[in-house]
Amino acid sequence: MLIPKEEHFKAAAHSERVTSRIGLALAVTFTVCFLTGLISHLIQHPPSWFFWPSRPVGLYRVTQGLHVISGIASIPLLLAKLWSVYPKLFGRPLVKSLPHALERLSILVLSGSAFFELSTGLLNVAQNYPWNFYFPQVHYAVAWLAIGSILVHIAVKLPIVRRALTRTPEAGPPSTGLSRRGFLRTTWLTAGVAVVATAGATVPLLRNVSGLSWRTNKGTQGLPVNRTAAAAGVQRADADWRLAVNSRTFSLAELRQLPQTTAELPIACVEGWSQSAVWRGVSLPMLLKAVGSEPGTALRVSSLERSGLYGVSVLPGEHTADDLTLLALELNGEVLDLDHGFPCRIIAPNRPGVLQTKWVTKLEAL
Amino acid sequence: MKTARLLLALPGLAALVWGALLFADYAFPLRPDVFGTAAWIIGAPVVNDALIAPLTAVAGLALSRIVPPAWKTPVIAGTVATAVLVILAFPLLWRPYGTPPEPGLHDGDPALGLALTIATVWLLVILAGVRPRKRPRATGS
Repeated sequence: MLIPKEEHFKAAAHSERVTSRIGLALAVTFTVCFLTGLISHLIQHPPSWFFWPSRPVGLYRVTQGLHVISGIASIPLLLAKLWSVYPKLFGRPLVKSLPHALERLSILVLSGSAFFELSTGLLNVAQNYPWNFYFPQVHYAVAWLAIGSILVHIAVKLPIVRRALTRTPEAGPPSTGLSRRGFLRTTWLTAGVAVVATAGATVPLLRNVSGLSWRTNKGTQGLPVNRTAAAAGVQRADADWRLAVNSRTFSLAELRQLPQTTAELPIACVEGWSQSAVWRGVSLPMLLKAVGSEPGTALRVSSLERSGLYGVSVLPGEHTADDLTLLALELNGEVLDLDHGFPCRIIAPNRPGVLQTKWVTKLEAL
Repeated sequence: MKTARLLLALPGLAALVWGALLFADYAFPLRPDVFGTAAWIIGAPVVNDALIAPLTAVAGLALSRIVPPAWKTPVIAGTVATAVLVILAFPLLWRPYGTPPEPGLHDGDPALGLALTIATVWLLVILAGVRPRKRPRATGS
């Protein structure tokens, strides 16, 4: 079989300048993706030192949107970057020294972990799981490997990056392929096309533009349903249903008699879609005062949903003190649909969608 | 430069160690599915180097020889964008492991969306190919 040699690759795409420019763009998208993913992880598994505000109401929507958009943009960037350095794969000798061997190994970790993050993330937004692991756990662990190997890689390559970006580029040998500028423009354009084709899942302006968005406008009451009542094994609550708040109980009619608050708040799903909606219900500070509790107390929220990981959530004090945190009874002017959590659900500003517990049956001060 | 490199490398190494610990937390005790996950991590660069990159090389060479010079850049850009769109659409189209559609999620028509997006890309390619352009400047030699 004919194996090419490093010097056979003459296209401008393989120049240091191209590699460095795309590498820097990837450093930006991966850093954004890592930090926004870390924020989401910390909100869902908060350590004692962690604090997440309840305002601005759409902050999590923005960070989660950035997570998905930067991840999508990274797919063409990573492929272009690896194409740019592809000739190095054929560099000989295979291993020159111990540092060289370590460097090659670190690049295997880098590209392996980067591909893993992008491919599993892309499959996850499509809710497509051709694997046996628990996605959040492994996607999170490998994210640290990816960001760590990127930082080490940049540290190793920094002199080359500086050289490539500060020197005026020499005119390379003529080649039949794209020019340096043509290759870079193609890369940026493709990243742009990838973002525009998908970002409608979270960016309202692109809602009817993105052909490959995983969300549509066909949601119940104008809002996508991530988990139907049937999937969660929840039956429609009957007239005997009562909400327990500490030692008090409320019927649905009693909840409707309490002062109601209307708020426009987004649902922002960890799986990369978001949608704003108008909610109406009892504000949590109000409800806590009605049972003689202090707003600002953390609450354990339990659902009628018994199976699954998200039947119970903890609402931090920051959110129970916010007047916009609602026990919602209505959505977009109608009684909450069963799939959206009838008889009542939590909708809090600036929280991941999976923690906006549906079919609430019990609230306990912690 | 030395300080900058240290400031990048040290947190980088720390993140690698932390990532390895988190991964070990998942991977031990070893089970068959862990090998599948490891194969996924190692396999992706192999697939890129053995399949995607050679295909890029062959397609790039072929296009730059067949396509007239004025069309070369737009056609190659259109081909690259099409390939990436197909990658992005793949998890929406191939769904033996996908969740069933829910109201508002995965209940669209990704094949139609892909076709329309690719059509738009190639419309732009045609516009870029036929746009009037300056004559190349004389280079003197």
